[in-house]
Amino acid sequence: MLLSYRKLGGLRIALWAITLAVCLFLLVPIIFIAALSFGSSQWLIFPPPSWTTKWYHELFADPRWLQAAMTSAKVGLLSAALSVFLGLLASFALVRGSFPGRGILRALFLTPMVLPVIVFAVAIYALFLRIGLNGTLVGFVIAHTVLGFPFAVIAIVNSLEGFDKSIEDAAVLCGASPLQAKLKVTLPAIKLGLFSAAIFSFLISWDEVVVAIFMASPTLQTLPVRIWGALRQDLSPVIAAASTILVAFTLVVMALAALIRSRMNK
Amino acid sequence: MNTMFLSIDKLRKTYGAVVAVDNVSLEVPEGEFLTFLGPSGSGKSTTLYALAGFDEPSAGDIRLRGASILSTPSHKRNIGMVFQRYTLFPHLSVHENIAFPLRVRHQSASDIAARVKAMLTLVRLEGYGARMPAHLSGGQQQRVALARALAYDPPVLLMDEPLSALDKKLREEIQIEIRRIHQETGVTILYVTHDQEEALRLSDRIAVFNHGRIEQVGTGRELYHNPATRFVAGFVGDSNFLEVADAEVRGERARITFPDGTTLANVPVHGGASASGTGELMVRPQSLRLSTDGSGLPVRVRDVTFLGDTSTVLFETAWGQEIWLRAAASQINNATPGANCHLEWNATESHWFA
Repeated sequence: MLLSYRKLGGLRIALWAITLAVCLFLLVPIIFIAALSFGSSQWLIFPPPSWTTKWYHELFADPRWLQAAMTSAKVGLLSAALSVFLGLLASFALVRGSFPGRGILRALFLTPMVLPVIVFAVAIYALFLRIGLNGTLVGFVIAHTVLGFPFAVIAIVNSLEGFDKSIEDAAVLCGASPLQAKLKVTLPAIKLGLFSAAIFSFLISWDEVVVAIFMASPTLQTLPVRIWGALRQDLSPVIAAASTILVAFTLVVMALAALIRSRMNK
Repeated sequence: MNTMFLSIDKLRKTYGAVVAVDNVSLEVPEGEFLTFLGPSGSGKSTTLYALAGFDEPSAGDIRLRGASILSTPSHKRNIGMVFQRYTLFPHLSVHENIAFPLRVRHQSASDIAARVKAMLTLVRLEGYGARMPAHLSGGQQQRVALARALAYDPPVLLMDEPLSALDKKLREEIQIEIRRIHQETGVTILYVTHDQEEALRLSDRIAVFNHGRIEQVGTGRELYHNPATRFVAGFVGDSNFLEVADAEVRGERARITFPDGTTLANVPVHGGASASGTGELMVRPQSLRLSTDGSGLPVRVRDVTFLGDTSTVLFETAWGQEIWLRAAASQINNATPGANCHLEWNATESHWFA
């Protein structure tokens, strides 16, 4: 290799320092929030004068927080399911199809990833205003599906490209109808890709705030929207507690995903 | 007249302006092992895929026991196939792979268990039922694929270069297995390969494909000893092609003259050539002998290669063409590079192509 780590000498220390700085930069705010959520100070003083769990009691006592969490979960699960289903169909078309404009379609499917979220949020808000979907669960799910879909397509296209079509052909010659062959052979073979697609699109929806603010109504809010709203009213350690739970849940999902993935690989 | 078991009738497949299969017709009796032999792009695989139903032919017909199968979708054709690549279902065990075609046919659990067991015995993989495909060698995977393709007793088994991913020794081992399984089951096999040795080893008959057409169909011996075209002569077995300056055709024999004036009478004529003229003479390296009496084709030794059982000698003719001979090492002791000598051969073992 041109740049061998062993030959870097003193630069190695610099590399370590940069790595450490990046890790701290990413992690410290999260740790900070988690610490504050257990602090007794109403004014989020750091370091906290003493430790308490009263903000969590307050959080769980307020039904609006629980409702927001339930909404987040519902929207996340539904839009993940929809993203995976549509992503699967789209991936078959992109990988197996041979029609003009396939490359353009592929690029088009990925645009929600690169389009500024605020532009998309305003656009879909304007559209839903006409058809009355703002502030509804359906509107939420559709909007978040658009955001999760590109990630689902990437994950599923990758695994479908790595799957030899001859295997599906073999199933068909064995007597399975083309649909049966896909359900019984192809889908189980690419389950890792489907699973990644589901996790990605769920997490995208779970912590999405910009589009959600546009979609939300006073009675239908996701957790990030609720946090955002509460922040603007008053700065309370309850928000820190809610944020900590949001992060903790994300960590649990990712850890579970890694565990299931390693199980599947065996 | 009784109908032929399997007939391919004027099959044609075009992709835009490219003709992949051009008017291929074949009659295959039940139980035959027929190989499609040819270079890549010769149309042999396309013909096989038309039989499998993955490629719809542009024209022509395929009939099984007299009835056309073209309108039957692949999954209802009841045809077995072993692919070039490994196609075991990766999430299913060996047992479940072989059971798959039986399950989609809704057979009873006891029938399936018995059949899978019999199939594992047939391919000599008893005790491998619980293994996952990823834990099998390439050769074992192809044997399981063979068992899966035969589990539902298909009338025809298609094999598309199933051994091309395996190394030479393993390939020969499995060729013997395939031969045995063909004899034990009596299934009609259509086998695609570009390896002439594999074709000769396995087949009852061989159809030689070139440019989408069948050049010749026959047993290995027929193709080797009586090649119908220059292509078959060059593709099946080793061969030398010598320039012919003039050939006088009389019936099925020709008297030919080489560019250096040497003549050879009684040469068999192929490919329906009747007019006299130039062309090429094909002679096998093992038909050549060093002449002891100074008659025959004058050549100069270029190189001698010792290969253990045999040696090969490379010569150059007076007009600069290369020709090589293969013989037992003891018969060519006196060939040393640079030496001038004469080559002779039995004229009936050489073939003139216009």
